[in-house]
Parts: sequence; C-alpha cells; structure tokens
Amino acid sequence: MSGSIEVRGLSRTFHTTVRRPGFAGALKSLVNPERVAKEAVVDVTFDVAPGELLALLGPNGAGKSTTIKMLTGILTPTAGEARVAGVVPYEERERNARNIGAVFGQRTQLWWDLPVRESFAILRDIYEVPEREHRARLGEFDELLDLSSFWDTRVRHLSLGQRVRCDLAAALLHDPPVVFLDEPTIGMDVVVKEQVREFLRHQVEERGRTVLLTTHDMTEVERLAERVVLINHGRLVLDGSLDEIRRKFGSTWQVRATLADPHARVEPLPGIALLRHDGLKVVFGPAEADAPTVHQALKAVIERYEVTDIAIDEADLEDVMRAAYVQAEAVSRAHAEVPSGARAEGV
Amino acid sequence: MAAVHAWRAARVTPLGELHTPPRMTAALLRLTVQVVLVASLWNGLYAQTGTTAGLDRDQAVTYAVLAVLASRLRELDQYAGRDTVLQHMHFGTIVYWYLRPLAPQRYYALRALGEQLYGLAWALAGYAVCLAVGVVRPPESAAVAGVFALSMLLGQWVLYYVMLVIDQLCFWTLRNGAAMLILIFAQNLLSGVYAPLWFFPDWFITLSGFLPFQATLSVPLSLYVGRIPLSEAGAQLAVQAAWVVVLALFTRLLWRRAARRVISQGG
Ligand SMILES: Nc1ncnc2c1ncn2[C@@H]1O[C@H](COP(=O)(O)OP(=O)(O)OP(=O)(O)O)[C@@H](O)[C@H]1O
Ligand SMILES: [Mg+2]
Repeated sequence: MSGSIEVRGLSRTFHTTVRRPGFAGALKSLVNPERVAKEAVVDVTFDVAPGELLALLGPNGAGKSTTIKMLTGILTPTAGEARVAGVVPYEERERNARNIGAVFGQRTQLWWDLPVRESFAILRDIYEVPEREHRARLGEFDELLDLSSFWDTRVRHLSLGQRVRCDLAAALLHDPPVVFLDEPTIGMDVVVKEQVREFLRHQVEERGRTVLLTTHDMTEVERLAERVVLINHGRLVLDGSLDEIRRKFGSTWQVRATLADPHARVEPLPGIALLRHDGLKVVFGPAEADAPTVHQALKAVIERYEVTDIAIDEADLEDVMRAAYVQAEAVSRAHAEVPSGARAEGV
Repeated sequence: MAAVHAWRAARVTPLGELHTPPRMTAALLRLTVQVVLVASLWNGLYAQTGTTAGLDRDQAVTYAVLAVLASRLRELDQYAGRDTVLQHMHFGTIVYWYLRPLAPQRYYALRALGEQLYGLAWALAGYAVCLAVGVVRPPESAAVAGVFALSMLLGQWVLYYVMLVIDQLCFWTLRNGAAMLILIFAQNLLSGVYAPLWFFPDWFITLSGFLPFQATLSVPLSLYVGRIPLSEAGAQLAVQAAWVVVLALFTRLLWRRAARRVISQGG
C-alpha cells in the first residue's frame, strides 16, 4: 500500500456563461449566452513520495482546490493524468475513496444533527472498519486532538475549531495512506493550530501517511512542509524545498557577527557579500549570485572567523512568498503574451 | 467488496430524532391535532349531508385519518438535519458523497429507508390508538389487510422515487424550493390527503390517473376502506408496480447524469 501521488500534465478548463450586467444584459444572456473558457489548472506535473508532506501554495484562485478535487476524484481533468496510490482517482472513484481521506476546510462531512461520535460510527460502517481498530484509532486521535471533551456534543453546537478537528479525525478513521487537506486550519486559534500541526506531523512521521495540503498560513508551511509546490494562474511556478524558495525569492538574510580578533582580515566569502565592517562588528548578506541559505552562511562565517557573538536576521516566509507571488505574476503575464507553443518550460 | 455494514447508515434519521426530544414532542402534538381535526371535520360534514360519493361516514373518516397517519411516514421537510441534496449542494458538502466507498444513490436510499421505518413506527402507534378508541375501522378482512399492506408498500416506494426526482433537480438548479412546494401540494391533493379523490370532477380524476401521485396513497387507502373492491386490486397493484419500475429507471438515469455533473463542476 504505497501512498504516492503522481501528477502528469494535469489540466482543467471550466466553461462558464458570463452574466452580463443589468436587466437587458440578463435578457441577452438568456437568449444568447456567452460562453467563456477558464483555464483553472494548466499542465501541472509533480510527485509526492509516500510518507511525504507537500504544501501546495499559491494566491487566491491559483487552482489549488481544483487540483485537489481532481486528485480526490470529484473532478475529471480535461487533459493529463493523475495517480493516487496507484489508482486513477476520477476513473475508479470508489476504489480511490478507500485510499484517501480529505478535508475541505470550511465544509464538514459530519452529520449536523448527531453527536460527533455517532458520525464517526456511521463512517466506520461505511468504510467497513472493524470495531476494535476503530476504537484504537479514536483513542489515538483523542490523545492528539483532545476530542473527547466535545465528541458527545452534536455537530451543530461545536465551535469551528472543534468541528474541524473532528473533521480531520473523520477523514483519517479508515486509515488512508493518502490525505488531502484543503485549508484545514482556516479560522483556528493559535493553540488549536499548533495542536493540528502536531497531529499532522504525527500522521506523517509515525503513520507514514502522504499528505498534500494547501494553506495561506506561512507559519504552518514553515513548521510542517519541507517541500512546496507553488502554482499561479493554474501553472506550476516552482517545485522545491523551502530553502530553495528562500534562496530564489527571499535572499534578504543578514548574518551579524562580533569578531574576537580586532586585526582579523575580513573579506567576502563565496556567495556571501560583506555589507558592513565597523570595528569588531561585521554584517554579511547574500551575494548577487549563488547565495547560500542563511544557515549555510552562518556555518561558513563561524568556520572562517573566530566570533564572540553571532545573530541572524531573516526575511520571514510571508515576505518570501509575497516576493514569489509577485514574480510568479510577472511570469504568468509573460506567458500570456507569448503565443502558446512557443512557451518556455519552467521558470 | 459488498458493503456489509454500510446499511447501518439508515439509522441517521431515527438517531437524529432521538437526540432531539423537542422534535419528537412536536411531532406527537401535530399528529394528534391533525387526527382530531380531520376526524371531527369529516364527522361534521357527514352530519350535515349523509352519504356522499358512495362512501359512508365511517369509511370517509377512516380514509382521512389514515391519510394523516400515512403522511407521517415520510416528512416532506428534512432540513433540520442538513442532509438534503439541496443543502449539500448549497454548502458544497455534496463532494463528500462522492468521496466515500458508498455510492451516493445507495446512501440516499439507505437514509430514506431509515426515515420511512422511523415514520412507520409513528404511523403504527397512531393507528393502534385510533383503532382502540374507534376513530378508524379495522379492515374488512384479512385479505383486505394483506392487499392494503402490499399496496401501501408499493405506494411508499413510488413516493420515494417522486421525492428523489425533486431532490435530484437540485443538481441542476441549486434551488428546488418552488418545485418542492408544487410537489407537496400536488402530492397532498392528488394522492388524496386533503380529500378522497372521488370527490373531485371526472376530468381531474382522469388527469391524475396519468400521474404517479394517486399510486402513493389514494390506491392503498381506497383498498382499505373498500372503495376499490378486492376484485380490482390486482390491476391497481400492477399500476403501482409499473410506476415503481418507470421511476426507478428514470431516477437511475438522473443519478448518472448528476454524477457526471458533479465531476465536471467539482461540486
Ligand atoms: N466550477 C467552476 N466553474 C468555473 N470556474 C471555476 C470553478 N471552480 C473553480 N473555478 C475557477 O478556477 C480558478 C481556480 O480556482 P480554485 O478554487 O482552484 O483556486 P484556489 O487556488 O483554491 O484559490 P483559494 O486560495 O482562493 O482557495 C478560479 O479562477 C476559479 O474562479
Ligand atoms: Mg481553494
């Protein structure tokens, strides 16, 4: 049961009718509807290895949810192919359903009128989970998510944070190797968010589940994901580690050191520029080309100089992502101007 | 893999009701008031006019009270549980129906079955009480009782499909409020909940003969009170069965189209 996700050239175009404004416009739309095509996802390719957590990032309307819907089998792609745990999700929906768990942030799959535990029991029956296994798993989830304090409450009376925690548990009750989470921590307070992160980390590290997650919360990405895929206007902009993204879009780190030896010869290091030198205090920053990550720079500085004090300043991920989105925007615009077919691959 | 335990999803309605005692009290109250009102209405009418449309007072009261009890079998409003197709389309939670190893049509059917069985418990209890206090007459014979039970089963089956069609409309319109209101009215009028059909003009009866509503309630109740004699029961049962088959095929087609619509729109 290998929980890999393979996405090859996945595309999805929506056809919608434009609603013209005003009464005359509405009449016109009725008689002669104007159809437009919207490319929500365009030729996206990536892999997620079993037991890996990947964050799918991008600004609003980038195509994240559309991608997840195709991978869960709710939506058929217009081109390309996807395999989740070896199954083509939109072709074998029921078989795929046993391999995956999914949470769509604001939408609950629990039964509104029933106590949460009854919802869990119904899901147990639907997924044919043996009672002993079910009870053991509930115990495990309770330990991590504190469910028992409210799982006898009816769903309609739960707070948002409580409900989403229950939804997370509900999605994992049948022990799926692959989990899709579309903005799972939306609207949660910091304590609950941390709890959920802890839970997800446990699911990935201890249970070996593959997790594909979308979020707009960069702290979350930082704490959870080693690898991210960035999409914009439906196109893949970047696939790499957080470090790579930092290097690419957020090379605004500084390393501030206090030297032990006032007579030391201070000079730039490979990929590292000397920004300031004032007595014992020196400040390094990334050079124009081949800048290392802040951690590599820190190591290089310590290895080269004897220092009494050292500190780093780093652009936080929010800034980095903002830069990445802005640049991605420019790239997409360039794409839009180049006639298709003459398009350059990648960024 | 055959679903061994999935049938237990049928418990959703009864469980929801048991967890909401005020709703049960309200149901009890409404049923009592309706039965009392309907019984006194028909008793009063007959006190004025004597035999009408070939039906004596006891038959008319029995018909009307049974109609009230039977309409409890399946409530036409299930919004409280937020588990209607309309609400799932509105909140976008319909996606979860397509994310489970239980097909949406199976889940829908199981859910409806639980609801009907729950309603049946109410109807039977109400029937027993009405029988005990003499508001309704017992069936003429064991044969009538048997044919009535069979006809009632088929009638509920037809009703299930009629409501399913209305629910399936939501996949295309997102709003079925108007259709639902028309259906409830048509169902009550044409199935004979408001008044037995034979009080209506001929053209109306002919017209309703082409619609499935008569098969839901009017036929079984007419069999019970003896308005349709046992000798004609076979033909009536056949018509009901035919409606079941036609609607089953039609709704199956709609399910397939609904699935295609969901997977092309993404719910
Ligand atoms: N059913 C649909 N019909 C038409 N257009 C759609 C449909 N679903 C999505 N879109 C469009 O496709 C694009 C991508 O939408 P998607 O929901 O995947 O974005 P997202 O990355 O999840 O954004 P967000 O961060 O806001 O959730 C949007 O421009 C959206 O308007
Ligand atoms: Mg989204």
